[in-house]
Amino acid sequence: MFNGLYAVLYRELSIYRKRAVKQILSSSLSPLLFLIAFGWGFGSGVTVGGLPYISFLIPGLITMNSLNQSFAISAEINISRFYFHTFDEYLIAPVSHAGIVIGEAMFGVFRGLLATMIIFVYALIFHVTLSFNPLFPAAILLHTFSFSLLAVTTSMIVKDHSGQALVNNFVITPMIFLCGTFYPIDKLPYAFKLLVYVFPLTYSTKVIRAALTGGDVSIIYAGLMMFYCIIFFLTSLWALRSVEA
Amino acid sequence: MNDNNDILKVAGLKKHYKDKAAVTGLSFAFSSGEFVGLLGPNGAGKTTTIKMLTGLIRPSSGTIHYYGSDFQQESQKTKALIGVVPQQNNLDRDLTAYENLYLHAILYGIPKAARNARIDELLDFSGLADYRNRQVKTFSGGTMRRLVILRALLHEPKILFLDEPTVGLDPQIRRVIWDFIVKINRMKNTTILLTTHYIEEAERLCKRVLIINDGAIIVDGDPEALKDGIGHFVLELHKDESIEEEFFDTRPDALAALEKSTYPCKVRGVTLEDVFLKLTGRRINV
Ligand SMILES: Nc1ncnc2c1ncn2[C@@H]1O[C@H](COP(=O)(O)OP(=O)(O)O)[C@@H](O)[C@H]1O
Ligand SMILES: [Mg+2]
Repeated sequence: MFNGLYAVLYRELSIYRKRAVKQILSSSLSPLLFLIAFGWGFGSGVTVGGLPYISFLIPGLITMNSLNQSFAISAEINISRFYFHTFDEYLIAPVSHAGIVIGEAMFGVFRGLLATMIIFVYALIFHVTLSFNPLFPAAILLHTFSFSLLAVTTSMIVKDHSGQALVNNFVITPMIFLCGTFYPIDKLPYAFKLLVYVFPLTYSTKVIRAALTGGDVSIIYAGLMMFYCIIFFLTSLWALRSVEA
Repeated sequence: MNDNNDILKVAGLKKHYKDKAAVTGLSFAFSSGEFVGLLGPNGAGKTTTIKMLTGLIRPSSGTIHYYGSDFQQESQKTKALIGVVPQQNNLDRDLTAYENLYLHAILYGIPKAARNARIDELLDFSGLADYRNRQVKTFSGGTMRRLVILRALLHEPKILFLDEPTVGLDPQIRRVIWDFIVKINRMKNTTILLTTHYIEEAERLCKRVLIINDGAIIVDGDPEALKDGIGHFVLELHKDESIEEEFFDTRPDALAALEKSTYPCKVRGVTLEDVFLKLTGRRINV
């Protein structure tokens, strides 16, 4: 298993090294715009559940930005499968599927953690005080690992770029706007609330926000994060197997 | 039990897609060190066959044994014996030649201490040492092709599959690749299965040719023997609508027939194209 895992990480990191500056710059921009628009423009003076809005927003931006970066591996795997066929090198090698899946997911975690650091830098620049619960590192690892596994699953199921775009537009973007990243979900109409409680991002956001703003981390929500992580690991293995049909 | 002297033994191999039977039943066996060609027109099922033999897709039915052990059941152990050069050059273009090879070395579990020596030895063997630290996207088609072949040799496979290794290369580069493949077969005693739709490639390189058409092997043998089987000389009759062939054992017989013909015509030696034509009524390259 370790040959596959190590090979995938070697490849992804060798390529990432050559693109690091570009990718870090591009993952820095959109959270900055959100901070300016909602933090300064719209949210100054507003409080949410006793917190200044910007303190409420920062954990949301962490989940959003790390989700975006972790999930971005999906499009890249897609290109390597259908355009350059480099993914076939893994499939014909004497390595296990689990190694390939975990290797790709660990690279997704790496990108998600870099995206998280960027938001912490913004928090310093914008003088946002956060509290720090020791559960936070575990929560962010679980969150980025989950969505990286969802990315692997997606990239094995979709057949081309337009399929990938469909998932981005109909799953990822709605999650980012509905799952409590920018506002508390109890303001949503009942029907939407039901939908939102199906989306795994909801639980990541609740746990990560509680861990950074001095709230209580719910064991149930943390358990649900774990549940989704296991589900997405199994779907990744299943989807990778189906590629060889 | 299977005969363990065969490096590869295939029986009743089939692949059906939803609306299409790509391979309709292949059976053959290779012994160690053989140089075999799988010759057939586009769409005959060559790539599908290679993909099944290398574990990229699962057969619909049939069995594949390497050294007597079942490929489905022992796939991880067996994959280490196989080298694959796919139809498309699937290199990472953003990586250097060295990085591409290093990745392969990890995948095949080559011990860390041996990796660099193995890579440099093979770069020398294939005359690519100067390209070691250059990004693959700067390489010509022929250089990429050689690198893909070299990569497939890194873990010292017992059998090498090459899917249309010289497609899209100009004639001069094609010869370089041919020499390289022959050198691999001779010096490393690697068993080779090469697919092609080029008659000349099959005739020049392969000691044994399997001709495939519509997903089935229609004939299997030494190219010279296959050609002898239909006659040594061909009289091509250039009729208004089509070209027709007549086969003769000796040149004088063919020339005598040429004298009598009222169409423009010529006499030439038999090729595998004629073998294919005689068996199927179609040409390999249209
Ligand atoms: N994934 C697939 N789905 C459906 N049909 C396929 C697929 N792959 C190949 N085929 C069909 O199977 C036949 C054999 O294809 P292939 O093995 O690529 O031929 P060759 O390599 O000899 O040109 C072709 O008719 C092709 O269209
Ligand atoms: Mg082909």
